[in-house]
Amino acid sequence: MTTPANRVITALVAAALTCATALTAIVEAQTRTAPAAANITAAWERIGPGALSSSQGAATLRVQLPPAASPPPLKAQFLKEWQARQQAAREATSKGQPLGINWVNCLPDGMPGMMAGPFPMEVLQTPGQVTIIQESFTQVRRILLDRPAKSAGDVDPSFYGHSIGRWEGDTLVVETVGIKEQVQYQNVPHSDQMRIKERIHLVQPDVLWDEITVEDPVTLEKPWAFGFAYRRMQDYTLLEYICEDNREYIDEQGRQRMRLQSPSQK
Amino acid sequence: MKHTYLTGVIAAGVVVLVLGSPVAAHHSFAVFDHTQTFNVTGTVTRFQWTNPHGFLEIDYRAGDETTKHYTIELTSINMLTRAGWTSRSVKFGDVITAMVAPLLSGEPGGLLLELKFADGRKLEAPVPAPGTFKRTPEQELK
Repeated sequence: MTTPANRVITALVAAALTCATALTAIVEAQTRTAPAAANITAAWERIGPGALSSSQGAATLRVQLPPAASPPPLKAQFLKEWQARQQAAREATSKGQPLGINWVNCLPDGMPGMMAGPFPMEVLQTPGQVTIIQESFTQVRRILLDRPAKSAGDVDPSFYGHSIGRWEGDTLVVETVGIKEQVQYQNVPHSDQMRIKERIHLVQPDVLWDEITVEDPVTLEKPWAFGFAYRRMQDYTLLEYICEDNREYIDEQGRQRMRLQSPSQK
Repeated sequence: MKHTYLTGVIAAGVVVLVLGSPVAAHHSFAVFDHTQTFNVTGTVTRFQWTNPHGFLEIDYRAGDETTKHYTIELTSINMLTRAGWTSRSVKFGDVITAMVAPLLSGEPGGLLLELKFADGRKLEAPVPAPGTFKRTPEQELK
């Protein structure tokens, strides 16, 4: 017999079941989409050829290293200019009159150069973001997770660009656009169409790789791929780095010069 | 597989040894003489704990019996810290002997490679690619 009270109870039970089903679906969806992120929150130091710590890094750890960088596959006209520039830089260095680079003016590497070191870097994982701090010049880049990608035309050019990331299993996949044209890794020219793709993942519990592919339809014939390896630093806290007293400068000929006297002592 | 890793590591080590570290500092060290060093003994007038580089300013007695000033550049203080130095490693008035790679420009300054105190204590300077500097410890700055 169906009484009004029974109908209310039936309706309540049905509502509760619907809520429970919906909740289960939400929890399941969250579980499905929850990234199986690796824990890479730590201080890291670059190892391998080109690293400041190479003598005690790769050799001691016996680690796998990512493929070495090849010369950039620049289109003919850009390649010619780049080779001439590299040659001029080598000649100037051999004469003891090195050409000035951004560092001389205390300008940071930006992307992708900051991933090359030279000092330790810190990776911090927080909800929705991975932050990478490079000790030299206190460089900071923010990788926003699970956001829609942007095209280069949508962002203002900067040193670190606009980075969007997602976890594919235990690999952090990142795409960066919007790097200023004067921010060049190894003097390699690029256009505002440059896109930097990275796959950041652990190859050993304490060894991290960043596999980088640079794409640029204007300057590159094909993608330029290279990578860096880092060792986990136990109990290391990044130090500050402030260009407080820069005695170096670049002269009218583009050469690096040094003042003996501190500008602050004048 | 292990063998391949090791071969790779050894090959990488050889490349580093042959080519030396690339520039790994705030500026190129090519402005300093890589073919000789000088020892300069003097009194510290300032130990500057700053980036992009630390500095050690000293007064020394030159060969002509006059007091001259010499500016000694150090690496970044981050590298110094990791090598065990602190902002108190050197004090005003300390008498020190510095082994320096002189500036090629001929100006009275150089890059610190090694520091020796009057009591015999030594501090190595953590310069990148130290092996590329030829040390001539018999040469005194006059």
